[in-house]
Amino acid sequence: MRALAFRSPSPMPGWGLSFGVMVLMLSLIVLMPIGTLLLRGAHIGLGEIWHIVNTERVRAALALSFRASLIAALFNLVFGLILAWVLVRYHFWGKRIIDAAIDLPFALPTAVAGIALTAIYAPNGAFGAILMNTFGLRVAYTELGIWIALIFVGLPFVVRTVQPVIEEIDREIEEASATLGASRMRTLRKVILPMLTPALLTGLALALARSVGEYGSVIFIAGNLPLQTEIAPLLIVIRLEEFDYNGAVAIALAMLAISFLMLLAINLIQVWSRRRMGAA
Amino acid sequence: MTHPTLATFRPATTEPDWMRRILIGLVIALLTVLLFAPLIAVFAEAGKRGLAFALQSLTDPDAQSAIRLTLTVAAISVPLNAAFGIAAAWAITKFDWRGKAFMITLIDLPFSVSPVVAGLCFVLLFGANSAIGGWLVAAGHPVIFAVPGVVVATMFITFPFVARELIPVMTEQGRAEEEAALTLGASGWRIFFTVTVPNIRWALLYGVLLCNARAMGEFGAVAVVSGKIRGQTSTMPLMIEMLYNEYLSVAAFTMATLLALLALVTLTLKSALEWRFADQLAASSRH
Amino acid sequence: MHIEIDDIAKTFGATTALHPVSLTIPSGALVALLGPSGSGKTTLLRILGGLEFPTSGRVLFDGFDATGLSVQERRAGFVFQHYALFRHMTVFENIAYGLRARARKSRPTNAEIERRVHKLLELIQLPDIAKRYPAQLSGGQRQRVALARALAIEPRMLLLDEPFGALDARVRKELRQGLRDIHDQTGLTTVFVTHDQEEAMELADLVVVMSMGRIEQIGKPTDISARPATDFVRAFISV
Repeated sequence: MRALAFRSPSPMPGWGLSFGVMVLMLSLIVLMPIGTLLLRGAHIGLGEIWHIVNTERVRAALALSFRASLIAALFNLVFGLILAWVLVRYHFWGKRIIDAAIDLPFALPTAVAGIALTAIYAPNGAFGAILMNTFGLRVAYTELGIWIALIFVGLPFVVRTVQPVIEEIDREIEEASATLGASRMRTLRKVILPMLTPALLTGLALALARSVGEYGSVIFIAGNLPLQTEIAPLLIVIRLEEFDYNGAVAIALAMLAISFLMLLAINLIQVWSRRRMGAA
Repeated sequence: MTHPTLATFRPATTEPDWMRRILIGLVIALLTVLLFAPLIAVFAEAGKRGLAFALQSLTDPDAQSAIRLTLTVAAISVPLNAAFGIAAAWAITKFDWRGKAFMITLIDLPFSVSPVVAGLCFVLLFGANSAIGGWLVAAGHPVIFAVPGVVVATMFITFPFVARELIPVMTEQGRAEEEAALTLGASGWRIFFTVTVPNIRWALLYGVLLCNARAMGEFGAVAVVSGKIRGQTSTMPLMIEMLYNEYLSVAAFTMATLLALLALVTLTLKSALEWRFADQLAASSRH
Repeated sequence: MHIEIDDIAKTFGATTALHPVSLTIPSGALVALLGPSGSGKTTLLRILGGLEFPTSGRVLFDGFDATGLSVQERRAGFVFQHYALFRHMTVFENIAYGLRARARKSRPTNAEIERRVHKLLELIQLPDIAKRYPAQLSGGQRQRVALARALAIEPRMLLLDEPFGALDARVRKELRQGLRDIHDQTGLTTVFVTHDQEEAMELADLVVVMSMGRIEQIGKPTDISARPATDFVRAFISV
């Protein structure tokens, strides 16, 4: 039956070539490797994976990775919102440079970011020394250092998803709120914030997904002590270096599963908040 | 009660002056601590013992080999991913078929996979213990702990960049110009080069720029598949790690300076493109 | 060219755009496909031009089955609703595009291309805009350039999708006469799509009234206003 045809006929040229190249490269570069991981996981079996994951060191690493990512993403949620608002609505000297600099974490290789942050926040570094001497606070080689690295890595996501939405806001809505007697703070909280919620959640999800898997910028500043400052991706690398492939696969699958559940939850909140706003 | 004068009048759509100042101050302070300071630190640490000493570290054969490898890997993986991006964008935007949204999800998949896990996938697929890997090693073409592994891992990490930039742009531009060229008798390749490419060239450049920056800086996935063999499979980011762990701080930061400069050039070109050709780029995906 | 549409139907997934329709267009006629949006008139035009494939039925050009002909082989001059001018090319390059796209042995020389483009610019009464870009033209000028570009390939028929739809009322009246003049000069079989009954009645030799994927009535403008065949036609033309 025509209605069930995969593709509607079209005179546009290049279907076979473009679709073929797309499917071939996607299969070779992305699907086959990921498929291999899943197959290996199926081969190991759920029980054995649970057995590997449910050890003190792995549990600690997974908990650390997700906890630090969540803290960093929440920080970036608030800071990113402020940053986006300031960049769209205010005018001040140097704004263009700051706007361009937001993308630095995307452009700067993670290893470079890692050693640079460590140099600054180490006990003998520029900021590290100040924090150490005045507050007795150690940043590098503690969980705090991991937070800093993950905040750095996730910084652009919320800003870049929220910024275009703020640009689109119709000022008449704010004016309407003001004419109805709402204070500025009330307008921001009750009118603007709900409009930004879906974009904020998208940014949060992107930042989280990136932070959980982050490796390069974290390992230099983390200290990498088992049970304390050892992140899950590092533990995968360690297992691989020990040729314990099953161990590495089990941790990787656990990470993927938890990430999936987390992103699913964010997605559901998003659907709910969109529906509440009446936008399909 | 005092009446507001012109000087104290504030439009209903702005915040009080004190609040704006606090927010701008906060933003600048936090960005200084988080973004600008690390960037400056890279240059400062590299120059600690003078320019000559820093440059000296780059003459090391292993360092030069790392630079060459990074350039080679980018030169292979970026054009391949650009070809993929163009093909995918063409298939997705010029035709109507079932499962487009699902296909886009699959293309985006590498963004949500940890680089380390990506590397692990390739080790499982091509490692000496696997069926394919064993055969490749026996045939004298190892992938893991060799340059091909570095290339495929880099391709995985940067896979969606070009496609993601082109798909929204080409969706927005529609098919009318290509259809017009068809009715005027132009062939497929002619339409592509004379009508499509001129319309997407800046978006393509934008995607390639970001793809390249990420390709040259990739660390986690490459660290896993390369085996970090000095002078052979060690890219610039891997070299930075090795030098840093050997307490050769100046050498590490000098290498890092090169990549930081690449990042700055990328950001400058990217901003220039956004400023000059905003209408021809994907508005929603500014990263 | 004589065009025969023989039981053409078209479905998009679950929706039916055209029930089987049949229509004969005599050579040299100026025909309007008239109907509200969603009536299937644009789909029918795009099937004639080869931009859409019918689900069933045949299209005959001068008695030959053209259903399987590719767009390029049909040589139909097509004017798009929003003109689809190539925005990165000058007016000259836009009009020359179809000539340059020809296979080498049938491609005119550069001097010949130049001569033809300038002749077409005179035909559309815009002789001085060759070096401008589409963005620098008014809506009416763009429409005429699109028409010249379609004529440049020496088409066998002229197909226009809402040719005046994006223009304001004054320009619309002016260009209507322009299209009539060009049709009379070239003698090309011309089919245009419109939702404006006044436009169809005033301009066309033959009006085809369509609704919901079906042809309601075919006839001369005077016949249709004098004797509407269905309630739909009566209501639609009395607006």
